[in-house]
Amino acid sequence: MKRNLFVNLAGVLIAMLLGAIVMLIQGYNPAETYGALFGYSLANFYSFSTTLRNAVPLILTGLSASVAFASGPVNLGQPGQFLIGAIFCVIGGLYVDLPPFLMIPFLLLLSMLGGAFWSGIAALLKKFFRMDEFITTLMLNMIADYLTYWAITYPLFEPRANHPQTPLITKNGFMPKWGNFNTNVIVMLLVFFVIWFIFNRTIAGYEWRISGKNSLFARIGGVKIEKNYLSVMLLTGALAGLAGGLVIMSGPHRFIKGLGANYAWDGIMIAMVANNGITATLLYGLFFSILQTGSLGMELITAVPSELITVLQAVIVLVVVAGRGYFELMIAKIATRRKLKDRDIHPQFIDQNAINREDTKL
Amino acid sequence: MNIMIGLINGMIAAATPILLAALGGTLTYYAGIFNIAMEGMMLSGAFFAVLGSYFFHSWIVGILFGVLGAILIALIFIFFSIFLKVDEFVTGVGLNLFAVGLTTYLLRQIFNVKGAFTDPGIVPIPKIQIPMIQNIPVLGKILSGQNLIVYIALIAVIFITWLVFKTRFGLRLRAAGYNSTCLDTSGVSSNLIRFHSLMLCGILCGFAGSFLSLGYVTLFTENMSAGRGWISLAAVILVSGNPLGIALVSLLFGFADGLGLFLQQSLPSQFTSMVPYVATLIALFIYSIRKKKKEALI
Repeated sequence: MKRNLFVNLAGVLIAMLLGAIVMLIQGYNPAETYGALFGYSLANFYSFSTTLRNAVPLILTGLSASVAFASGPVNLGQPGQFLIGAIFCVIGGLYVDLPPFLMIPFLLLLSMLGGAFWSGIAALLKKFFRMDEFITTLMLNMIADYLTYWAITYPLFEPRANHPQTPLITKNGFMPKWGNFNTNVIVMLLVFFVIWFIFNRTIAGYEWRISGKNSLFARIGGVKIEKNYLSVMLLTGALAGLAGGLVIMSGPHRFIKGLGANYAWDGIMIAMVANNGITATLLYGLFFSILQTGSLGMELITAVPSELITVLQAVIVLVVVAGRGYFELMIAKIATRRKLKDRDIHPQFIDQNAINREDTKL
Repeated sequence: MNIMIGLINGMIAAATPILLAALGGTLTYYAGIFNIAMEGMMLSGAFFAVLGSYFFHSWIVGILFGVLGAILIALIFIFFSIFLKVDEFVTGVGLNLFAVGLTTYLLRQIFNVKGAFTDPGIVPIPKIQIPMIQNIPVLGKILSGQNLIVYIALIAVIFITWLVFKTRFGLRLRAAGYNSTCLDTSGVSSNLIRFHSLMLCGILCGFAGSFLSLGYVTLFTENMSAGRGWISLAAVILVSGNPLGIALVSLLFGFADGLGLFLQQSLPSQFTSMVPYVATLIALFIYSIRKKKKEALI
């Protein structure tokens, strides 16, 4: 655990140092830039609550990807499931009107249904035709993109607007706000605890984790891989769909073209950098949200383009993942050396390649 | 007749970037690398091609920059996956997102625009008129007058086929994917072979990217590769890496794209834009059905 924390912190620091070097080359002041970045996202209650609100879709799509990757299915369909969830939520919000205490759960369920529907297509294609979900979900992403674009251009189009968008959903479907604190954070935290519990404390979660680590072992142990595959796909789709629904209900309250273009891919990125850990996903989601929310302030105060953050995020992912892999390799090497010493074999007489056959240099 | 010719030329233009990227992908496929960074390589290539063409007023520099831009991504891929042994899948996804971020950031920094950059100063890659052939009545308009990159792609198909199946390098390439330990013990570093295959993939994706931003259209837009890298990966998987098969499948995808444009008269453009992705799903579907039948026979 401690080792893990160290690798992650070191990776993030190295990535941010790299970012600072880029800023220096371009003639910006790194300290001032990072100051503006974190100041804008963390300085006071107002900005921190904005950061929290923005973290919700990142964490939910991140959880979706983490659970999927850790259990086996390579569900890369979060962007599509996010959009379909959002459009389901908008349709519900436009044509149904209930009192808020019924409307909000109804819309949340509807958006989860939308996401699960979209991931379910990929799951069924895999189940019946053995088509790899990793390509089908990607293609379904593009299809969802155009499908929702069509939906907001024609059937759900708001006539008064200049660009494609839907009318506002009913006021009863807005997520309540306390000051600037949006209650979508509470929904996200609830979902986080449920997912954490299912994944770590139930039999189903145990079966998923084992299938993700070694599906053959799981199968021999009596785990119904195919049934689990379907439930994981549906659950992760529902999570991504929920993210889409919550963005609608807490943000613009309507579907605007280009909604969530980044959230869902960021979620996949967060899952990767978090090594598919549930708690790590929460923390990294928060951290990425700090970066993204702060990037606007950074641009306002120091004129560094906010796009720098997208580069920084990808660098963080690559550096942390590489650092983790390399660190584990080093630890394994040290452990092997120590064992050899115990057996009185001098490490110099051991072929380095035998220690780690994979570690052949270029 | 003119509509037909237009449709066929549209097909060829749409197939070219997919074909080039898929040829790159097939090299890494044979080398046993799960390479999904074609999307990022293509995007980076497209951006740097515009950069080179705009600042040096020359399409040759444009292509050169495009290839270098794609190689940049390939080198990072090599550094992470071969050198540091990071999971190829994670590296690929990370790099694709890195390419999106990098090109958007540079677009903003260098050209001071958001979304898209277009300028009369960008020199497109010329179309090549072949002297004798261009006078043939109908075929002339298809065989001649295509973009230079289209001909490069055609040559690349033949070259890659020869490279993979007829040369020593090709044998080692396939060995690296088939049994890398065996290759290593016979004295050839499989990592070196993988390095070469990724560099070649970078070059081919660079051509694909240059074609996107200097041939197909003469501008750069954010994320303009639009899933073509993924489609090309699907193409590689569909034909298990055979270069000639890839050429056919790419033409099929090109046809789907052209069909989409053709359908635009009767359907909303959002649906016609979906056609290539739906076609990919259908192709994968047919592939899996055929595979099932084959397995049933055995």
